[in-house]
Amino acid sequence: MRLFRELYLYREMISSLVRKDLKGRYKGSVLGFLWTFLNPLLQLLVYTVVFSYIMRSGIEHYYLHLFVALVPWIFFSSALTTGSRLILDQKNMIKKIYFPREVLPLAYTTSSFCNMLFSFVIIFAVIAIAGLGVAWRALPWLIPVMLIQYLLVLGVNLIVSAITVYCRDLEHIMGVVNMAWMYLSPVVYGIDFVPEHWRTWYLLNPMTPILLAYRDILYHQISPNGRLLLLALGMSLVILLLGMYLFSRLQKRFAEVL
Amino acid sequence: MPAITIKNLKKKFRIYADRGQSLKEKLLFANRRRYEERWVLKGVSLTVEKGEAIALIGKNGCGKSTLLKLMSRILFPDEGSVAMDGRVSSLLELGAGFHPDMTGRENIYTNASIFGLTRKEIDARLQEIIDFSELEEFIDHPVRTYSSGMYMRLAFSVAIHVGADILLIDEILAVGDAAFQAKCFERLMEIKAQGTTIVIVSHSMAQLERICDRSIWISEGVIRMEGAPSEVHPLYMEYMGQRTASTAKKPIQTQTEAQQEELPAAITEIALLNTNGEPITQCRTGDSVVLRIRCKADPQKAEEALIGLALYRADKLLCYGTNTQREHLKPILLHQTDEILCTFSPLQLVAGTYWFDVALRRMDMFAYDYRAQAVRFVVYNAIDETGVAHLAHEWSFSNQSKTGG
Repeated sequence: MRLFRELYLYREMISSLVRKDLKGRYKGSVLGFLWTFLNPLLQLLVYTVVFSYIMRSGIEHYYLHLFVALVPWIFFSSALTTGSRLILDQKNMIKKIYFPREVLPLAYTTSSFCNMLFSFVIIFAVIAIAGLGVAWRALPWLIPVMLIQYLLVLGVNLIVSAITVYCRDLEHIMGVVNMAWMYLSPVVYGIDFVPEHWRTWYLLNPMTPILLAYRDILYHQISPNGRLLLLALGMSLVILLLGMYLFSRLQKRFAEVL
Repeated sequence: MPAITIKNLKKKFRIYADRGQSLKEKLLFANRRRYEERWVLKGVSLTVEKGEAIALIGKNGCGKSTLLKLMSRILFPDEGSVAMDGRVSSLLELGAGFHPDMTGRENIYTNASIFGLTRKEIDARLQEIIDFSELEEFIDHPVRTYSSGMYMRLAFSVAIHVGADILLIDEILAVGDAAFQAKCFERLMEIKAQGTTIVIVSHSMAQLERICDRSIWISEGVIRMEGAPSEVHPLYMEYMGQRTASTAKKPIQTQTEAQQEELPAAITEIALLNTNGEPITQCRTGDSVVLRIRCKADPQKAEEALIGLALYRADKLLCYGTNTQREHLKPILLHQTDEILCTFSPLQLVAGTYWFDVALRRMDMFAYDYRAQAVRFVVYNAIDETGVAHLAHEWSFSNQSKTGG
């Protein structure tokens, strides 16, 4: 409880870090902020070419099927990859000034979340251009789904960034973990491709129900499965609580180890 | 509830001989990960009341900065506890978190937000911060264009305006030029008067004595002594003086041995004695002391000579200087004299650390020998006087209006 009160006191620091991150992320590059949109679009192009024309998946409107899962996936994978360095990169501040250390993962998660929101603009643009339309009744479901994913990503960020301080290898291991995790999640394919008898295990991946929910809302244009959503919420909360516990323990020696 | 309550605080650091950061190194060289545990703080208990200003003193590596970092919550204790009541602002590292490409104004916002201020609070203080830093005309320039003095001024200005209940300061009163330092100091006194609790680590005893109510002397990770600065500092200075002496800090000589060989006269010994003729390293204000200088000379070559003295305070302030010629004494005939005594009766210096420079010169001021910091000594006094010399004086009190006149 004290932590939350303190984080509230430091809200200006969080928001200024988020602003700095959003503004500074592509500083010095010619296209600047446009990369926020270009990055997912280029990834979309690659996967669409591969899975529509080479390894034909036979999914109708494959690009949209992919895109509605790819954008949330990029948000999640930010926690696994660049997120692992988020404490290391603020070494100077951590060694010299006190502030609740949770500010850093919180700000990073929030700025990645904002980037996802910007990318959603493109999703809607693609839907509009393709003339596929949206299910207005299902659309409000996006809010709880996004919030659940936010909790999950924050939890993963807390865990990964804190452990990386003590074990720098994690940063490199995460590259592989990120790739494996993506192919074990329904990003480039649908859940129908997963063999029946694997499904139970497959659903233990917290990203599975979340991605399925996004796809239900935006691609299938139906409300997401309530039970799956509850499962996602449960798993996300468990990971978040684990992350908070681990982070609070590990942060005590940050200033010494860095 | 006191502002700071520290109970039996202990902190250890792991000193790795060769630390592997990666997994491979950790697995392969498990035996290399041996580390030594060093207890930097070995059980410190301390209570600081609201509005009190305390000084942490001690030699380098004694644990005072670690204690300050534990108070600021940058480090966590291994044993014991630290409880701080109120908003803490630490001036441990000024300008940490400053971004060189951002303007002074933007950095004020970022920096103040790190101290936990909201935008509204910063808006309210912005002008005051800029005014104090005296950087009005540069405030919209990127801070990378600032001089280091300007940078520190801005950083100090932000840190001191965050409205903390407890202010932790580590050796930073050396900000900017003398005028700005004086201003910072005044500001600290103001803040203290407003009821802010202050903890300062510094080596400047004079500054600490002016601002602090209590001094805590930390040695080897424990509190060695605490009390009024006027009680603690002389003993600390004496201890430091003895340390300096015992670590064989030889008097600095401006001439090399070889040169001395060629010169016809040299000082062989300089000592400070009490009236019984015993060597001393400390005395009280008003004690009589004798400075004894012994020299040797080649009777064939040595000419007439004079002795010069310069008395310095530890901060290199020249307190007094004289020589035998200026005092119209006869030239010293070196083939007749090999011991010179100069008696100070009494030595009216206020408490502090001092040293003598002694010179043996030819009458045309050519130096046969010059010994800088030849004797170092500490003067104590129960009276907390300031300045350099104790001037003999008497007070009298009467009531003129009643006695008529």
